[in-house]
Amino acid sequence: MNNLQTFAAAAAPAAPSTMSQPTAMLSCRDLTVGYGTRTVLDGISLDISAGHWTAVVGPNGSGKSTLLRALAGLTTPGRGTVSLRGRVLESWPRRERARRLAWLAQDAGLTNLTAAEVVGLGRFAHSGWLAHRRSEDDAAIRRAMLATGSLPWATRRMTTLSGGERQRVLLARVLAVEAAVVLLDEPTTHLDPPHQEDIARLLRDQAHGCGVCMVSAIHDLSLALTADRLIVLGDHGLIGHGTVREALAGDWLSAAFRTRVDIIEHEGVYLWRPALAAATRA
Amino acid sequence: MSALRPGVAELDLPLFAANTGSRLAAWLAACIAITLLLTAASLLIGTSSLETSLGWLLNPDAQSSVILWQIRLPRTVGAWFAGALLGLAGAIAQGVFRNPLAEPYLLGSASGAALGVTLSLLAADASLGGLAWAGKLGVTGAACIGACAAIALTIMLSRGVLATASLLLAGIVVAFLLSAVTSLLLLSKPDVWRAMQAFLLGNTGFLSWSSVGLLGVVFIVCLLPAVLLSRGLDALSLGEDTAQSLGLSLPVLRLTLLGVLSLATATTVGQVGIVGFVGLVAPHLVRETVSVNHRQLLIGAPLCGGALLQAADLVSRWIIHPAELPVGAVTATVGGVYLVVLLWRRNRHE
Repeated sequence: MNNLQTFAAAAAPAAPSTMSQPTAMLSCRDLTVGYGTRTVLDGISLDISAGHWTAVVGPNGSGKSTLLRALAGLTTPGRGTVSLRGRVLESWPRRERARRLAWLAQDAGLTNLTAAEVVGLGRFAHSGWLAHRRSEDDAAIRRAMLATGSLPWATRRMTTLSGGERQRVLLARVLAVEAAVVLLDEPTTHLDPPHQEDIARLLRDQAHGCGVCMVSAIHDLSLALTADRLIVLGDHGLIGHGTVREALAGDWLSAAFRTRVDIIEHEGVYLWRPALAAATRA
Repeated sequence: MSALRPGVAELDLPLFAANTGSRLAAWLAACIAITLLLTAASLLIGTSSLETSLGWLLNPDAQSSVILWQIRLPRTVGAWFAGALLGLAGAIAQGVFRNPLAEPYLLGSASGAALGVTLSLLAADASLGGLAWAGKLGVTGAACIGACAAIALTIMLSRGVLATASLLLAGIVVAFLLSAVTSLLLLSKPDVWRAMQAFLLGNTGFLSWSSVGLLGVVFIVCLLPAVLLSRGLDALSLGEDTAQSLGLSLPVLRLTLLGVLSLATATTVGQVGIVGFVGLVAPHLVRETVSVNHRQLLIGAPLCGGALLQAADLVSRWIIHPAELPVGAVTATVGGVYLVVLLWRRNRHE
């Protein structure tokens, strides 16, 4: 996976756009997305760098999924641009873009394929329509399945796997792309807490070890606080983007959820505590 | 140890089961063997008795060889191709619409074909005695054109091929609309209505070598692009967003496959009328028996559909011997029962 590091090193674009700084792997300017008359995201600008795991947090309906979909180029923004390595998303050739930017949907359709076939689809942008599997594709599939611990059920059909097993196969599918930018919409849903922790560690390792620009929406606040950086969305747009420490210092989470969010620090780990006591007393 | 840390033993686990290929090969071989058996049997079964047919085979004369090689053989070979096209169309429809209950006629092609046939029959009504030739020449063309027009109307109504839900809805609307027009036209013409019924129930009796040729060419033309695009259907089974993020052009994939679907359905409807359930059941049978991706499904479903329609054709000739049932009635009965069993088994599992 060393080639990913070279990807990241070569990220200084040949023709840098005037808008984005050369260090940003993925950036957006004045991003505005709406459905019908409702505006979900209004004028959001971000620069997301490689080598970090960034968690997107915010209350339901604050536009976490919409932001990720727009960053992945799956929604056409009403206004503003998204750039990958300094180049506007729309100007990338389809397959080239798909090799550099991978996406994990919140809920994948039920498919009849085997686990390894699903992971193999992550190689589509590399190997194309005829699915002639080269040894490098097989190696990438194997690496991704090893990393997510899904290799033991490689030959099983997706329909026979449990929700957690399926999620890890889908995660392997995203890693098999070996893209420089990986966007994940709620990758830890359907998983029990220890497995959520495993996935979080995996995302962190991929970001730090391979220099991947890893961005995920995370529902669970304690889990999100184990990320390197946070993008905090509130009901009325972006509250802040920065390190976890900056987010806590500025109390961004309380602002986003419009209620007091208590964070306890325990042996270097931040934990979110439900404000149950306060509610009962009141 | 964390679940995500691989043990040494995991490193050389296989990615793909070693026996999948051989199981599939065995399954395909079984399909082909059944087809050959059915073809042989179809030479022996017809209005004449089994002994007479056997005698014809052993001691052929001019008249019997015409019956065997110009009537029975093209009929069964044509039935195979028609069934294969329906199986292929069904597999494509289920893949494109990501719905296991999708079937070849879901874009309104059946009602379009019916309306086309009605119009052609009404046009030929002035000389009703000429129905025989109209049944051979005009009906196939009219059915094909009607089916294509209905599909075009459906796509126009849903303003393109991108929104699956509106496409399905438009298909239903077009089907109802065209059926209503057909019924209105037929109300005043009971004799045309009777001729229509034969078409609506499906009929393999008109198949000649020239129809076999047409069906065969269309089958090859449809199979090639479908198999080439099969990996796109695999990707689509993970969801539209995911497929798009993998670098796939959804409009190109959809348009090509819907084109193939329309060509396959329109041709089949033109040659054998509306034969229900084969296109729905064939892909199911393949999926139930072997684990498949779309490439394997798009090859297996035609083989299965071909054998199914051949078998139905045989049953339709034999069951009320020496008279014949419309083949569509047989497929609808058997297919309906199969689906009920399938649903019942599913419910029990859940």
